[in-house]
Amino acid sequence: MSAKAKSAQLRLPGFDSAQATWQTEYTSHMRDDPPVHNRSGIEIKPLYTPDNWDSARYMEELGFPGAAPMTRGIYPSMHRGRTWTQRQLIGYGTPKDYNRRLRKLMDTGVTAVSLIPCNSVYRGYDADEVDTELLGTCGAVVNTVDDMLACLDQIPIDRVSTAMNDPLPFTLLAFVLGAAKRRNIPWTKITGTSNQSDYISHFVANHMFLRLSLPGNRRVLVDEVGFCQQHVPNWNPVSIVGQHMQQAGATPAQAMAFALCTAIQFTSDCIERGMQPRDFLPRFTFFFDISLSFFEEIAKFRAGRRIWGRIVRERFKVDFDRAFRFKFHSQTSGADLTRQQPLNNIARVAVQAMAGIFGGTQSLHTDAYDEVLTTPTEEPSRIAINTQNILRDEAHLTDVIDPLGGSYYVETLTNQMEEEIEAVVAQIDALGGMYRAVEAGAVQRMIGEGALAFQERIESGAQKVVGVNAYRIDESAHAGPASQRPESGSMEAYLESLQTYKSSRSRSRVQAALSDLQRACNTPEKNVFEQVVNAAVAGLTHGEICACLRRELGFGQPLIIV
Amino acid sequence: MSDVSTAVDRLVGGDKATLARALTAVENARPQARELLAALQQHTGGAHVVGVTGAPGVGKSTLCNALIREWRARGRRVGVIAVDPSSPLTGGAVLGDRVRMHEHDEDDGVFIRSLAARSNAGGLAASTTDVITVLDAAGMDCVLVETVGTGQSEVDIARTVRSTVVVSAPGLGDDVQAIKAGILEVADVLVVNKADLPHAEQCARQLRAMLSLREVRAWQPPVIMTSAQTDQGLQDLADALQRHNDESNVEDAAHGSIAFADWPQRLLPRDRFAQHLGIELLAGGGGHASVRMRVQAEHISFNGTCHGGVTFSLADTAFGLASNSHGVVAAAIDAHITYPRAVRINDTLTASAVEESRGRRFATYRVIVTRTDGATVATFTGTVAIIGDKQNRDSQK
Amino acid sequence: MSVKDNAVPAKVLVTKIGLDGHDRGSRVVAAYLRDAGMEVIYTGPWQRIPAVVALTQEEDVDVVGISSLATDHLIVPKLVRALEEAGLAHVRVVVGGIVPDDEVATLQERGVSKVFHPGSSREEIVATVQRLAQEARRERPEI
Ligand SMILES: Nc1nc2c(ncn2[C@@H]2O[C@H](COP(=O)(O)OP(=O)(O)O)[C@@H](O)[C@H]2O)c(=O)[nH]1
Repeated sequence: MSAKAKSAQLRLPGFDSAQATWQTEYTSHMRDDPPVHNRSGIEIKPLYTPDNWDSARYMEELGFPGAAPMTRGIYPSMHRGRTWTQRQLIGYGTPKDYNRRLRKLMDTGVTAVSLIPCNSVYRGYDADEVDTELLGTCGAVVNTVDDMLACLDQIPIDRVSTAMNDPLPFTLLAFVLGAAKRRNIPWTKITGTSNQSDYISHFVANHMFLRLSLPGNRRVLVDEVGFCQQHVPNWNPVSIVGQHMQQAGATPAQAMAFALCTAIQFTSDCIERGMQPRDFLPRFTFFFDISLSFFEEIAKFRAGRRIWGRIVRERFKVDFDRAFRFKFHSQTSGADLTRQQPLNNIARVAVQAMAGIFGGTQSLHTDAYDEVLTTPTEEPSRIAINTQNILRDEAHLTDVIDPLGGSYYVETLTNQMEEEIEAVVAQIDALGGMYRAVEAGAVQRMIGEGALAFQERIESGAQKVVGVNAYRIDESAHAGPASQRPESGSMEAYLESLQTYKSSRSRSRVQAALSDLQRACNTPEKNVFEQVVNAAVAGLTHGEICACLRRELGFGQPLIIV
Repeated sequence: MSDVSTAVDRLVGGDKATLARALTAVENARPQARELLAALQQHTGGAHVVGVTGAPGVGKSTLCNALIREWRARGRRVGVIAVDPSSPLTGGAVLGDRVRMHEHDEDDGVFIRSLAARSNAGGLAASTTDVITVLDAAGMDCVLVETVGTGQSEVDIARTVRSTVVVSAPGLGDDVQAIKAGILEVADVLVVNKADLPHAEQCARQLRAMLSLREVRAWQPPVIMTSAQTDQGLQDLADALQRHNDESNVEDAAHGSIAFADWPQRLLPRDRFAQHLGIELLAGGGGHASVRMRVQAEHISFNGTCHGGVTFSLADTAFGLASNSHGVVAAAIDAHITYPRAVRINDTLTASAVEESRGRRFATYRVIVTRTDGATVATFTGTVAIIGDKQNRDSQK
Repeated sequence: MSVKDNAVPAKVLVTKIGLDGHDRGSRVVAAYLRDAGMEVIYTGPWQRIPAVVALTQEEDVDVVGISSLATDHLIVPKLVRALEEAGLAHVRVVVGGIVPDDEVATLQERGVSKVFHPGSSREEIVATVQRLAQEARRERPEI
């Protein structure tokens, strides 16, 4: 018997005999008791007691909110003081369409701007370089500073934070800065996050990168961190995206581990270029998926917070609490939603959101229930935000900080998830770090296996999914919501305006900015992102900037692991 | 019949759709395949067939991609065969090699075909030789065969192609030791890929040292350092392959050892027993042969069906022609047959023999005998000992 | 003809066209088809339509499977037309992923043989692709 179990007994007279009685009764009730595992592969017991977790370890493992080891939350007041940012990611149609939608959402309680650009932007092309049918169907078309001005029309960007789903080379941030300049807003007042800056997660999971070579991405990211530190100090230049990994099939523990390893990689890369972790780490943020595995997700977040604090203190020797605060945005997982009986998704999203809240998230996006049917439409989006409002205002989930802290189960699971995550981190360390591991395809392989294994569990019925392999009804007559597509003709009009924009620019200014960008790419001491901002201000389009980088820093191919 | 001859015309004329379907036909050993291959023989010989092999991860696919680019810059038309292993359990396969050759998808001068190795554990698909024949006849200047290095496949590939490129790379652990002596034997060009990584030079030095221990030969395999990422060394590689091709041509002419694809045509007339049975040749050469006969009254047994010995003789004839088709005398030492279906009078039987493996001393063949309706009536396996004497070319007269 | 059609494995191209990169679904489906004994040509995302046509022809595939999780299904009719123009009308095209109900009919009218929604079972996918491959084989000239 372990020492900790003994101590529990000593303090609790009668523990042993009561436990033995329970065990006998439990066994007699349970004719069939197959082992239960969570998604990360941890075995889940029927009951947790002080045998599993003892509050004698409180100070070492939990402590108080806002202080090491940060398990209970990164701020002293957490959600009781200030609830999470309600950040619904939206993006659709032309810049004008987007602006209309954004303002409507802000009226319903959304407290920050977020922008999903059209997939053409993710790929690194202008609207006139791709199939017109696809434009604006899953994000807003944004190619120039003018477009950004239209997107943010009447939005007080000196007061609200503007999160951009901004893939490298961060042209959206460059356009925001260009827009601020035109509106005479100092850059120091611009707050927000480059939400999709994590090229490693894109390379691995989403293939969402703009087809720039890996070394090219690596360089531009570090340059952006450096630039923001100097010129846009309230901007979070980096968001490390564990979400992509989990959506692509990583287990919650793997996704957390990969995100932490990516953060280690980015930190090391910045240090190598002469930056001080004390200066840039406070601006690192994370972005995670919240699956339906309720307790597992809560434990994932609590464990992640603890490990990140330890990494910052032990690996990077920074003992400055702002540097090891594990700030994260989270999004309810679309992979758990079903097309069958879609209204059930509202219940799923509510449970996922609760896991995010109990996990101590700083910012939350709840999925609309029609997300698996189409690009989310208006009413489902409103219900998604109201789900957050209900959990906070009606259910009072924010009254107590870390309300599950001290639960024998949650604390045990947090420790076990921590171990699991640490094991994956060690594996990646052994491969030479995250950059090397993804370059060689190791991470991709691990994720691919996970995706297939989870699908197999659903196929076999081991994992029940309501409406899919259990509790099915005949839905053949039931039609889903009508798809919503940009108004016909609106994209043609947009393309015309882009043409006009391109032809009305100062040729010499554009040319000069382009050659500055080119030169920066080929001069290691120069900051490429600084020239991206200059180019945007000088009138270059997203596609032109990306084309130049692809040419100068190398074209990127996804690494397909089959 | 006329199907085949129009197909040949279209294929030789450069029609991609016909080429694609012809490849499927030979890959799946469709009934017309033998006839087609026989008709295409006269259009072959123009392509320089290059095999690329090496351990997984050394960058073969990436290197092939770069080599194709180099050849295209030199105006060559390129055919590529990318061989991937099949699952031994289900026979299924995910063919992913061409992913890295993606940039050539839309280039009309490049034709890439993925082949599943199917049951062939050696790594080379059984139909590779035939697929090469078809691409050669279709007017490709270069045919590139990429296989995963499994030990056996290097030897297989060397037998099938004109020039063998063995690829290694630094940083794969015991890289150079992995290049076993046998593999060194078959290499015409040695490539150290990933020259942009540390220790590439060291890897090349070790290879050169290993080569220097061998006796001097007419062709000394060069060791070339490449980076498929920066294109370093790709011109050298293309040049070396060109030189190897040129010198091999000269050597072949001097020794008169050009592989005669028409050995079966020369040998069948000498086979008195086959003549007696009325067996005719449909196609043959390079390890395979197809023959045909019609079942007559004198072939019928007491059961009223074709005598098993007749079917055996037909299969044995195909086996004999295929095993002797390399121009080297081979003698049968073992054969086995099963008869899943009966054969009746007036059925026309076709026996097709393919080479399953060929080593220095032994080779094995599989023969399928089919009936007019296409049903398989016999499967036959046989082994020959390779005697090694040159076949007497002129005795047919 | 001689060899039974089902003795030759079905050949399927699993790919993604358009702008989206989410490939979890296409990888799982490729593995399903492989495990069912088919030969699968797998490509990365973002293929251009002319490249898919060239690949379909060179590899002589029976079925093209397009995975679409964003809105890339909107250009599938273009692909179907391009295949027809290249003389590959026998090739069956299937789409898997998120396709709004009202757009399923449009796709089917424009020549898509089947749309698989999220939650389609492995059994259904394998059986349908197998059947479509046989149909395609029957319509295609031998050489
Ligand atoms: N650094 C470097 N990496 C390479 C080079 N050639 C290939 N690679 C990488 O090596 C990995 C394996 O390449 P691949 O062509 O798939 O190898 P194969 O398994 O031998 O066909 C990929 O990640 C390639 O990007 C090269 O010349 N230099």
